[in-house]
Amino acid sequence: MDKFKTLEPLKLYSTAASVSPIRKATVAPQFVGKLPSNLHLLILSYLPVPDFPAYARCSHATAALAESEMIWEKRWTSLKMDNKGLGAVLDDLEEHLRGRAAESRAAAPPTITVDDEFGDFASVDVPSDEMGDFVGAFQNPTTPMSASLWTNSFKSTSTFRAQYIRAHNLLKPLIKTLSSPPHIILDDLAAAVTSSLRLEASTLRLLFLFLSHIIQPVRKWREYKATLRSAMDRFDANLLAAFDKADEKGDENGMREAADSSWLVWDGADNDWEMGKVWAEKREIFYDQSWDPLANFTEDRRLAFDAMDDFMSLVLNAISEHGSRAVRVFPAEAGVLISFSERVASDVVGEYISPVLTRAREISIDIFLKATAASFREAWKMVDTIMAAGGDLTSRTKAEDVVFRMFEPNMDEYLDEETEAVKPAFEGICKGWDRQASERHINSGDASARFLTSHNPSQVKRNVLASFANVLLLPVTIVPRTVGAVGGALVSGGTAVGGAAAQGIAMLNPQRWGGAGGGGWGTSNVPDGYQKHRGEGNEMMFDIGTDEDDEEEKDKDEPFDEKHDELNLVPPPSAAPLSAGTLHTTSTSLDQMDQMDTLLSLDVALELIHTCRESLKRLETFAAYPDRIGDRVRDTIEEVFMLLLHALGDGHVKRGFSRATARMTSYKPAEHEETTSVAPLLQFFELVHIGDTIQSMVQVYFDKEMACTAPHIDKNDFLNSVVREKKRFENSLDDSVAGGLNAGTEVLMNQVEHIILKLTAPREYYPPENTALDLKPTKGCREAIKCLEMHCKLLKGSTSKEVLEVFHQEVGIRLIAILQKHIKRQIISLSGGFQVIADLNAYHAFITTLKVPPITADFAHLKMLGHVYVVEDAKDLAQIVRDVTRYGGAYRPEDIYEFIQRRSDWKKIEKTVDKTMYNLSFKEDCIIC
Amino acid sequence: MIVVKTSDNETFTVDREVVERSVLIKNMLDDIGENSEQAIPLPNVNSSVLKKVLEYCEHHRGEPLPAADADTSQEDTRKRSTDISEWDQKFITVDQEMLFEIILAANYLDIKSLLDVGCKTVANMIKGKTPEEIRKLFNIVNDFTPEEEAQIKKENEWAEDR
Repeated sequence: MDKFKTLEPLKLYSTAASVSPIRKATVAPQFVGKLPSNLHLLILSYLPVPDFPAYARCSHATAALAESEMIWEKRWTSLKMDNKGLGAVLDDLEEHLRGRAAESRAAAPPTITVDDEFGDFASVDVPSDEMGDFVGAFQNPTTPMSASLWTNSFKSTSTFRAQYIRAHNLLKPLIKTLSSPPHIILDDLAAAVTSSLRLEASTLRLLFLFLSHIIQPVRKWREYKATLRSAMDRFDANLLAAFDKADEKGDENGMREAADSSWLVWDGADNDWEMGKVWAEKREIFYDQSWDPLANFTEDRRLAFDAMDDFMSLVLNAISEHGSRAVRVFPAEAGVLISFSERVASDVVGEYISPVLTRAREISIDIFLKATAASFREAWKMVDTIMAAGGDLTSRTKAEDVVFRMFEPNMDEYLDEETEAVKPAFEGICKGWDRQASERHINSGDASARFLTSHNPSQVKRNVLASFANVLLLPVTIVPRTVGAVGGALVSGGTAVGGAAAQGIAMLNPQRWGGAGGGGWGTSNVPDGYQKHRGEGNEMMFDIGTDEDDEEEKDKDEPFDEKHDELNLVPPPSAAPLSAGTLHTTSTSLDQMDQMDTLLSLDVALELIHTCRESLKRLETFAAYPDRIGDRVRDTIEEVFMLLLHALGDGHVKRGFSRATARMTSYKPAEHEETTSVAPLLQFFELVHIGDTIQSMVQVYFDKEMACTAPHIDKNDFLNSVVREKKRFENSLDDSVAGGLNAGTEVLMNQVEHIILKLTAPREYYPPENTALDLKPTKGCREAIKCLEMHCKLLKGSTSKEVLEVFHQEVGIRLIAILQKHIKRQIISLSGGFQVIADLNAYHAFITTLKVPPITADFAHLKMLGHVYVVEDAKDLAQIVRDVTRYGGAYRPEDIYEFIQRRSDWKKIEKTVDKTMYNLSFKEDCIIC
Repeated sequence: MIVVKTSDNETFTVDREVVERSVLIKNMLDDIGENSEQAIPLPNVNSSVLKKVLEYCEHHRGEPLPAADADTSQEDTRKRSTDISEWDQKFITVDQEMLFEIILAANYLDIKSLLDVGCKTVANMIKGKTPEEIRKLFNIVNDFTPEEEAQIKKENEWAEDR
């Protein structure tokens, strides 16, 4: 029987196996019986292994199909040989089989290497000879006898089917043992392999994979699988005991072996891996209750997180100690470190934080907010420790998730409170300012450095903004510590800097510079440690900034500088000398000035921004939150910023401006002395400057702060609510400025008209004969221009160019109207006509400096109009009147006619002029000649 | 509504959603567009089989189609167990002739899930049968010499469940 069989395979291979059945099937689906071969393959993939022999025996075609690599590849890969060292199990099983009696080998039938040609077959036969009790000549290289070198080299090249057959043959005997009771199963399996926990575990795992619906190695695989499962559970229980023992002895190797084995046996179906869970539960950190969360509050109900520092270092120690051990002992995929950290986070840290927060809430909302941010920052330290313990195998996201998840229950409340708390805080600041304002109204005299008083407002503004930006870079203290700990030490710079930041912001206000410059605020208020720590920090910069400013001013304007210096060094008792010195005017309404001063304040803006910044910084600690809470955090950040803009815009700026506007409209020039300065308007311009500075500050704040706090906000995204709110703020500021300017123009022009009226002597343009003409502008004209010039200049550099242009244009148009009205009120003689021209020239010169082309043109025409008063000849005059082009269309002959009626000699020339004007044809020739 | 025409010239009018369980027809419709009034000819399928197939499609309408990639979808079906759902089981309980017709039609029309159901059923039928019975099932002629057959038997002995 054996003899002829050695020859037989020849035919078989040459007919079927030498051609790859798959390829044949896919290229041209041949029908095998009723179905094409590819469907046969599909059916075979569902066919249990024990049915293959019968199927293969049907015909040559089915025999070839049954050997198709496609089918066996799937079965082989489902055993997951390439990982977890399961392959080693097979080698080990082989080893053992070889050592055991030959009966098992007889059961392991011969298999075939498919692609062998006849020639190769002979060489395969060589090792077979070494086996004494060799049954068939078909014994192939995958059989155990040459397991060492030959098999290894063969494994990589051999077919999936051959590999599978090897595994099948090795594993199938083990299945038989599964029919016995569980405890015997384990013993039997242990006997089949080298006695090692890990190998036994691998074997169980392999069997588990083997008995799957994909492979279906035996008919009763389902039943076997159930018994295998219970055997594995039993095995796992044993491992747990072994692990505990090793743990008690501190034997990490033993622990690791037990853990690895248990991990192999664990099928991943149940939710938790028992061993990791049990281990984590035993850590003493969960049972230690020695800390007192309430120690974080000082006696005067403040926060001092030193207690939490200590507590956290305890926790961190535990994590790094046990965590690193977990990493050493447990397989990385089990993620024991993370689950352990999670437990620590929720059971220890979470339990610690919640009484802290509850207590903080009882004290005040403000404390609660601070405590929340602080405890989160503290808890966040865990992330780094976890990362340090876990090494490269732990992903940072997972480590962060531990803390995020632990802290999440506190977040909703915190976020609600944050917005709730910011609102009244903003309101409080605004209200406080209002109250202060009314108080200050009573004891007026509080000096203030003004933009207007500064020779170069934009320079001052730049300085303020630069320092402001620097202040923004300073960190805010999130975790409060006891003040004593600061002591100027570098390490605790956090607190010092935090304090300094607030101070720095406060010191920014130019209104305080006066006091500060003399008082030497620069260094005395700030701990030395801070200065060393941030030598380039805000305060120093600030000093330099002001110095430069001063010097610049010195160069330009000596007398003014004296005043300014005085202001900087000693707070002057009242604003009077300052205004007087700068504006060359006697301030008639000092009270009102101070009133106006109190309408808008950089101080308040800074305070608001500072409050907002503190809140945002707190929120920023949570900015990394993912998912829903993350969205909420971002929303809250936006909301807080919007609230700031709202408070600043509606609560402060708008109110101030509207009050200023109201005051201006109620200003009656007649009630005051003739001055070139309109007090409320002056104040209003000051407000515009302050408003502009506030807006720039908001811009800087937005750029710097939002960039780091809320990088998710796209500054160019005009749909974003924050950007929209900011736009709204800017618009409302612009509106306020525009509205105020409107009223201001009104007031200013009233004042100008008032000046002109008052200062124009009755016979200004009709001087008595023989009076020497100096041909200078009249006094009224000079004063009016001075007044206009001053106010127009004040506004420069504070509002946008467009607003300024509109303002200038408005001034020009109204001035023309006033002047026309004014001229029509006068009686003008020929010599007085030169006076008119002189005045008009002066106005024109002034208007030209405003650089508004249409107005300049209008004034040029008005200037031309003056000529009608110096033309002696009535006919020439009429000609001029008729010449429409002369005035660029600005004046019709009828208009001019009205003007010439104001001539003192009008009665004399009236007839001639009329005649010339209305008898066109006759006169025309004459003139041309 | 889509009109399809079988090999024996019978026409069926079906919802597009139903008929699109066939990837073949779905692709065809995607190519030619819906507004075509013409009946889709299915020369490989006769009316009795198509009726059966449409019954299946009707029952499974709206279920997600397997991925277009043949390889992964096959992997998916492999991952699913060898079990057949109750309705499918009842549906596929037909005489052998019809079973093979359905499998062929499902293969031609490219209805993955139906093909799987059919093949699983056939695999179940093969279970425990002798070679002779299997030959009869597939209508295969034994082209082995007795020696060859013995050889094959020997070769596959390892797989037998003893």
